[in-house]
Amino acid sequence: MANVIKCPVCGEGNLPDQEFCQYCQARLQPLTGNLKGADAPITPGQLPTKISTADLEPVLPQWLREARSSARQTAEEESVQAAQPKPASRPASSSGNDFLAGLQSESQDDNEEDDVPDWLLNITGEAPKTKKPQSESSEVRWVELGDKKDFTQPEPVSDDVPSWLTGAGSSTPPPSEKNDLTDWFRSADDSQQPLPPLSTPPVSDPQDWLHSMAADGGAFTDSGNNVADESFTSSDTPDWLRAMDAESATQNVNAPFGNSSLTPDSSDTPDWLRAMDAESAAQNVNAPLGSSNLPPVSSETPDWLRAMDAESAAQNVNAPFGSSSLTPDSSETPDWLRAMDAESTAQNVNAPLDSSNLPPVSSETPDWLRAMDAESAAQNVNTPFGSSSLTPDSSDTPDWLRAMSAESGASSSNVNVPPASFETPDWMRAMDAQEKPQSAESAGFSATGSGESGAAFSSDGDTPDWLKGLESGSSSSDQDWLKGLQADEGAQPAAESAPAWLSSAEPVVSTPEPPAVAPKKEDDALDLPSWLKASAPQSSIFDEPVVAQETPAAPSSDTQDWLNAFKSTDEPQDQKASAFLIEEPVAPTVSKGDDKPDADALFTEMPDWLSIVDDSALHESIPAPITNVDAIAPGDLPSWVQAMRPVDAGVPQVVSTSLSGDKAFESRGALAGLQGVLPAAQGFSPTKKPKAYSIKMNASDEQQAQAVLLEQILTAETAPVSIDSFSAIGTSRVLRWLLAFLFFAALIAVLLMQTQIFSMPVGMPVEVASALQVVQSVPEGAPVLVSFDYEPARVGEMESVVVPMFDQMRNPRLTFISTDATGAILAERFISGPWAGHNYQSGVQYLNLGYLPGGQMGIRAFAENPLVIAPYAINQNSSLLDFAPISAWNLPPLQGVTSFSQFAAIIIVTDNADSARAWIEQTTSVRGTIPFVVISSAQAAPMIQPYYASQQINGLVSGLYGGALIEQSAGRLGTARVYWDAYGIGMLLAVVLIFGGGLLNFVLGLRDRAAAREAK
Amino acid sequence: MVISPELINLITGVISFLFTLLIFSYVLGDNPLFRIAVYIFVGVSSGYIAAVAWWQVIMPRLVYPAISAVNTGSSALMLELGLVLLGALMLLLFPHVTGLGRITLSFLVGVGAAVTLAGALTGTLIPQVMGSINAFDLNAASARNIGFMEAIFNGAIILVGTVLTLAYFHFGARPKADGSMHRLGLIEALAWGGRVFIGIALGVVFAGVYAAALTALIERISSLITFITGFLGNFL
Amino acid sequence: MRVITVFIAIISGLAVLSGYFLSGLFPVLTEVQTHLLNGAIILTGIAALVGIFNLISVHTDKVRRGEKGSVYSALLVISLVITFFLGIILRPEHDAMQVVMNGIVIPTEAALMGILTISLLYAAIRLLRRRVDMMSIIFLLTAVIILFGSATLPFGEIPLLGTFSRWVTQVWALGGVRGILIGVALGSLTTGLRVLFGADRPYGGN
Repeated sequence: MANVIKCPVCGEGNLPDQEFCQYCQARLQPLTGNLKGADAPITPGQLPTKISTADLEPVLPQWLREARSSARQTAEEESVQAAQPKPASRPASSSGNDFLAGLQSESQDDNEEDDVPDWLLNITGEAPKTKKPQSESSEVRWVELGDKKDFTQPEPVSDDVPSWLTGAGSSTPPPSEKNDLTDWFRSADDSQQPLPPLSTPPVSDPQDWLHSMAADGGAFTDSGNNVADESFTSSDTPDWLRAMDAESATQNVNAPFGNSSLTPDSSDTPDWLRAMDAESAAQNVNAPLGSSNLPPVSSETPDWLRAMDAESAAQNVNAPFGSSSLTPDSSETPDWLRAMDAESTAQNVNAPLDSSNLPPVSSETPDWLRAMDAESAAQNVNTPFGSSSLTPDSSDTPDWLRAMSAESGASSSNVNVPPASFETPDWMRAMDAQEKPQSAESAGFSATGSGESGAAFSSDGDTPDWLKGLESGSSSSDQDWLKGLQADEGAQPAAESAPAWLSSAEPVVSTPEPPAVAPKKEDDALDLPSWLKASAPQSSIFDEPVVAQETPAAPSSDTQDWLNAFKSTDEPQDQKASAFLIEEPVAPTVSKGDDKPDADALFTEMPDWLSIVDDSALHESIPAPITNVDAIAPGDLPSWVQAMRPVDAGVPQVVSTSLSGDKAFESRGALAGLQGVLPAAQGFSPTKKPKAYSIKMNASDEQQAQAVLLEQILTAETAPVSIDSFSAIGTSRVLRWLLAFLFFAALIAVLLMQTQIFSMPVGMPVEVASALQVVQSVPEGAPVLVSFDYEPARVGEMESVVVPMFDQMRNPRLTFISTDATGAILAERFISGPWAGHNYQSGVQYLNLGYLPGGQMGIRAFAENPLVIAPYAINQNSSLLDFAPISAWNLPPLQGVTSFSQFAAIIIVTDNADSARAWIEQTTSVRGTIPFVVISSAQAAPMIQPYYASQQINGLVSGLYGGALIEQSAGRLGTARVYWDAYGIGMLLAVVLIFGGGLLNFVLGLRDRAAAREAK
Repeated sequence: MVISPELINLITGVISFLFTLLIFSYVLGDNPLFRIAVYIFVGVSSGYIAAVAWWQVIMPRLVYPAISAVNTGSSALMLELGLVLLGALMLLLFPHVTGLGRITLSFLVGVGAAVTLAGALTGTLIPQVMGSINAFDLNAASARNIGFMEAIFNGAIILVGTVLTLAYFHFGARPKADGSMHRLGLIEALAWGGRVFIGIALGVVFAGVYAAALTALIERISSLITFITGFLGNFL
Repeated sequence: MRVITVFIAIISGLAVLSGYFLSGLFPVLTEVQTHLLNGAIILTGIAALVGIFNLISVHTDKVRRGEKGSVYSALLVISLVITFFLGIILRPEHDAMQVVMNGIVIPTEAALMGILTISLLYAAIRLLRRRVDMMSIIFLLTAVIILFGSATLPFGEIPLLGTFSRWVTQVWALGGVRGILIGVALGSLTTGLRVLFGADRPYGGN
């Protein structure tokens, strides 16, 4: 049930999207989060997202792109090798417009081996070739970054053939290319032989590209012959692998997929892997592939798997998977090895694939596996698969390896397959179901599954990519098994056509159902990254006879997970020929159940052989130090590469617990399909509901008191603070009334009596004298510009000074203008009022240009071009309906005046210092030497005084005092004189009151302040 | 209907008398009569200014030139007036500092800033600085019949007063250790002297304002007396 | 909009400013300056109208809402409207408008100015009660001296007081006032430059 996740703790079913078990709150999902771009787990048979892989080219890592480019260059060489009668299966290359196309080319490159790790060469049993050092190791990348999810995502949907497979149908790649799983894809297309109808149930999301591959099952046979003797000597291979490689070269041991039982002891080995190894080794299943053993094909079975299945059925290939022959002889043998050994000795089951032995195919069974199952059933080929056992004979080889090697050598096609787990994936079950009608011997392909049915390893379709890749490294990455399937169509025994990865079919979790665990290798192969397929011709194991292969160099104690996987996939199994093998069935090296003591002894001294480099290998393959392992940041990786990275490989301590008690499948992530990997450990997964923590702050009294204090401080900061200001002046209404009464009484009395007691001022200030001199110097009848810029409030004051000043002029032609809106009418009032005695007529003796708006701007504009700015005059005498403007500059008052500087004098009558300043400032540059006199109010005079001191104006007369001076000097008494006594009284009152009142208030103030200080 | 000047003067006198009394009532305190007079005064003044703006700004500077431009076919003038009219419309339609009115205001501010800048520089800053220097010009002093010592002494006072006053308006300060802001010691001392000169200047200004206000009061009381005596004289 | 307004302000300002200093080299700048200033003064006059219309709307709203003092607002609006239409019809220089000016505006303003006499004197008397410092004392002493020097006695001027008063006004006060004027000029210069540089945007371009 793909839709239900069984809780590893309580065993209850849960929805797949649940993270914790709804019954026991145990964790259902891996602790590690989804990788970038891989939010959803990929399950076998899941409808993949259609992605044109060619589009992924730019996002591929540099090393991968280089590998692809080199693969393109090796295409020709691949074709040459494919033409050889070597029974090695060669993977087909893909079309050129996708990322697998590069793999095809890569196969033609002489440097192909550069991308092939030594350990893969060892697996295949080929002698490592001398390679140039490389700065980058693809397998390391794969180990670091690989994940299965993204590998399956780009799979095409239904009949949409992926771009990277489009070439499979159209192009005819060289049949003898060395590597690339694309070969078998191409062969699948090239061979137009119809496949027998699949007996698998309908697939909801078939993958047509695999259907086509299944239909062209014969193609596999051709392409599958080419990989066998490939040697993998990666310069990046670790020493221990190189040692392994060296031994492999010396012994010339073919290492089919399942027969190598290299399981270096490592504390980092994940539990699931150990479990897998243990069960695989213990049961030592003879699992010939047989389509009859395939479980019913799930609706989610990929098409390509079904095609493969069908082809397998057609060829009737007996593919006994490699018998694992672990012979641990060390007391330090890890649990998984001991378990493997124990089960191997106990069961030693010859379990050819049979439909009865296969569990029902999971709904997640990929189609390709079902197809393969069907094909296997049709052909009924016994494929002794991966029976090679590693028999290291080097002096450095640890005992357990030697034992394992011996076991491999003794392994036959009968593979001890552990009983299939009840949680066998659907696709395996589907494979089983398809294998049912076939003979038991034809279970060469499915035997892997059956053979592994008893393995502790969960062969779910969600096998981690790295493991799949490793498995592919043995078999399916080069798709040799498919080639073998193709080559052996109708001729090859099932054992040969059985894929090595199926032969290595990790020991499936033991289930109540004794047999029938279909290998998940198909799915693994599906998930295998193409770049790895291109670089690792693991399929050679299908092509060459499976012979005992010595265990290569020992890994370090820090064995990587991928190495563990490698170990697990190399478990010797009793298997028949792979269905994809063309050559004669490989003599499987079945591990004996009595190898347990050796295995135990082996793992007690694990690190030595892993760390020793075999000199024989060194001279052939120069290891290339991995210098840029971290060159590719995980965050920069394409999603599919990231998805290939093992999600969680650091839980080795829960192995025993998981193996013993937890039988739940991981449904997502890299561990999907594995059983009891993460959550089963006691102490890892919660056994009860998470404790509810209160969000209420738990603060002590002291802390709360400090919080209150802080809050008070903050409140005080924001609270308005009253400004320490003087107390409001108590308005003394009495004083106000008293002052008003004094002034009104005095002034009314003086004005009413019209007294002229106070003498007129006689001392004329220099500025007044200068102004008077200027006014008197104005020629008779000369045009004088007068600006009336005072407010109506100053009418009395201004008229009292303007009239005597203007009286000093001799019939000037006055031109009035005003920067104040009421100035024009005040000028008219002046002409018709105090100046009425001169009988000035508008347009004759005087002219009123009216209001000049804009302040300084108007003054500047008027000074620059008065004719434009003030073209018209106020028509004082026009009727209401006379709208015709009066052109001012043609009238007598402005006759002969065309510019500002042509006025005889400029008189500014203002009560505002700013107005005077504006006139002074804006006319400085244009007035030249024109006399400039300011008649101002008394209040503005102090501010205008500096301009007289700086000689910017020629005279200043201000206020009533100035008017009185002019009248006094002129001897013509006027308004100033009328007001002068009242003015004098008012001044004296002010002096007396300010002085006396000031002193009084000063004393009162001192008293008040003294009282205030005493009060404080 | 022809209104005689006497009648006009009588009406004007009555209205003036009433409004003067209403305003003077403020001496007794704020009262509705005072407010009535003030509000009416504001309304009348505004109405009058609006009429002035119409007849002395819009008509002679916008309407008449537009008519003239249409008659003469002066496209340049029409364009100029069109732009001004557009700006005027924007100002009328968007009186606040929002929308298109900002364009007109920006034009006014730009022109006004330039005029103010140039006027302050050429009309006040440079001449006043030169005036402070020329205060020691003995030739100019002798031309004004000012003696040598008097010119030097007065010039020094003016110069010192100017500098100290400017120092008073220097508000640049530095933070002290206690966080308070204080000016430099020298600036503070100069500012103290500047306060003296500023106090003297404001005292003079106060006296001038008082003189102007007193003159206005005298004028108003005189007008009241004139009106009363004239009104009563007609009946007595 | 902001860019446009800043651009207009700067360009127009620079054009007018160049008319001050570069008109000798480029006489056309004077003409440009004149036209720009002419447009500006027209707009300023219209701005006065805008202000008056705004005043009307404010007080009309107060009347419409019946707020406190709406009677005064009604009086304001009525007097404004009447005066405006009267001024439009009769023109501002008409005799009727002279009556309005001489009967209402001038007496009211002058009376308000006259009341200021009482207020100024009251404030001067009370100043030392509130604030006793050097500047207050100097302020009052100077005011008293100037007032006293401006007045005459029935028998004539007070000896030396008028001279001393004028000396204070023309020398001591001149120094302070000149400093104030220079300060004002500096402020105007700075403000103008900031506007022309676009740093200050009082036209709402912030």
